[in-house]
Amino acid sequence: MHGKSHYWLVAPSAAIFCALFIAPVAFFVVLSFWRVEYFELSTEPTLANYRDVFAGYWHVMGFTVLLATSTALLTTLLGFTFSFLARFRAGTWAQLLLFIVMITLFGGYLMKIYAWKTILGNEGVLNSALIAAGIISGPITSLLYSPQAVVVTLMHFSLPFAVLPIYASMRGIADSEVEAARDLGAGRWPILSTVIVPRCQSGIVAAFSFVFLMVAGDYVTPLLVGGKLTMIGNLIAPQFGAQFNWPLGAAMSIVMLAAAVVVIYLFRLLIALWSRQ
Amino acid sequence: MNSRSNVVWAIVAVAFIVFLLSPIVLLVIFSFTSRTLTNFPIEALSLRWWQEMVETRQFWPSLANSLIIGTCVGVVSAMVGTLAAMGLAAMPRRRASVIMALLTLPVMLPPLVLGVALLSFYVSIDLRLGLPTVIISHVLFAQPFVILIVHARMVNFDPRVVESARDLGATPLQAFFTVTLPIIRPVVIGAALIAMALSVDDFIITFFTIGTGNTLPTLVWGMIRTGLTPAVNAIGTLILLLTIGSTVIALRLTRYRG
Repeated sequence: MHGKSHYWLVAPSAAIFCALFIAPVAFFVVLSFWRVEYFELSTEPTLANYRDVFAGYWHVMGFTVLLATSTALLTTLLGFTFSFLARFRAGTWAQLLLFIVMITLFGGYLMKIYAWKTILGNEGVLNSALIAAGIISGPITSLLYSPQAVVVTLMHFSLPFAVLPIYASMRGIADSEVEAARDLGAGRWPILSTVIVPRCQSGIVAAFSFVFLMVAGDYVTPLLVGGKLTMIGNLIAPQFGAQFNWPLGAAMSIVMLAAAVVVIYLFRLLIALWSRQ
Repeated sequence: MNSRSNVVWAIVAVAFIVFLLSPIVLLVIFSFTSRTLTNFPIEALSLRWWQEMVETRQFWPSLANSLIIGTCVGVVSAMVGTLAAMGLAAMPRRRASVIMALLTLPVMLPPLVLGVALLSFYVSIDLRLGLPTVIISHVLFAQPFVILIVHARMVNFDPRVVESARDLGATPLQAFFTVTLPIIRPVVIGAALIAMALSVDDFIITFFTIGTGNTLPTLVWGMIRTGLTPAVNAIGTLILLLTIGSTVIALRLTRYRG
């Protein structure tokens, strides 16, 4: 093209990115070293917030990481199955499957969570349908306000985000590669494990990271369907509202992100090891 | 493949579709029922909850806010995102993918963290919270989607058509408006609609950056928190109509498939 002029085309986007992402995140990190004393911000740098996070909230943090890890593993597995189905088994139906994933990707975050509340409640859709069908006589009360309800809801809205990267990398596998493996005598499971999974490494890791971050930072789902269940997001959000302790909220967020980086790194190692076997 | 495994896969496919779609479908159905409880059996259909929705105080201002914010985010993201996508398409591939990965970072951050970071930043630089702060915050996480979609089209774009326009004496700007834009217009409009859908759907970042006032999702949040009314189903259906509707149109226009 004409010299370096195309670099200027990226300038508006880059400016938005720097002003509204780099600057706020940098300020947020600085904020986590400040302190609120008597409802006033004190800008004397201190590690006190981090000490508070580790001393007072480690169990919530641990629970959040555990719940996010299991949800992300399950969702990645489901996303892989769905992608496999669409890429290798569905034939012409693949278009429809992907279309459904795409339309559920961009819409209805809050409404999906709310819908699960109406489905799982004591007088909700599932219980009333089961009673009407004569399968149970009284409502199953443990459906809503339980860790299972939280995991199912989180899996539901994060599944499309897991399908897309995995399917994108599966699309790069040619039928001939799979056929070659089969002609050489490989069974179904070895083909999956030694041909397909290694070729989808980046997609699988992207799916896991995406879902993990989304889940670890969510606070709406536990509030609506989790009952007394508390995730770290439920402690972060009020710091920026009623509790008014921004530095503590910032420190909690940063510890959570650091934990996410560690978990995602470990998952990446695991998938890389699998692929090298 | 033998037919038994085909049957198994068909069942798996149906299970996936039911899992993904049934919550959304149920929400829509229950917005048209007559009773207060959202459960079975459904006795009669009615528009009662839609009636209640339009009579809800705050409904019209919230709808207006959602549409204003969504439109602005769609237009602004489409403009800056298309420019960036064109610039990236002209760069060496490696450098382009590094820049693209950077610009996508705001999408990777959990919305809660992005929301509270933006809130504390805006307050610290004395920016008054309101619709403008919501719009710029939405553009931040909507522009990567526009860039991805338009860039996917630009890499298949034959630069020779622009070069021939330039050789015939068109200025770069003329070449853009008479050659490039007409070719990529459907994709740009599609990308704008996706950005709008993301904006209209967003709850968390809006909640932290709007100050006072409501959009449809924050109105729904308030209604859920203060007690259940099936009018929420009606507003939810409206949000889904806006977001999924524009996504469907966008997918047709862009032929984008991930």
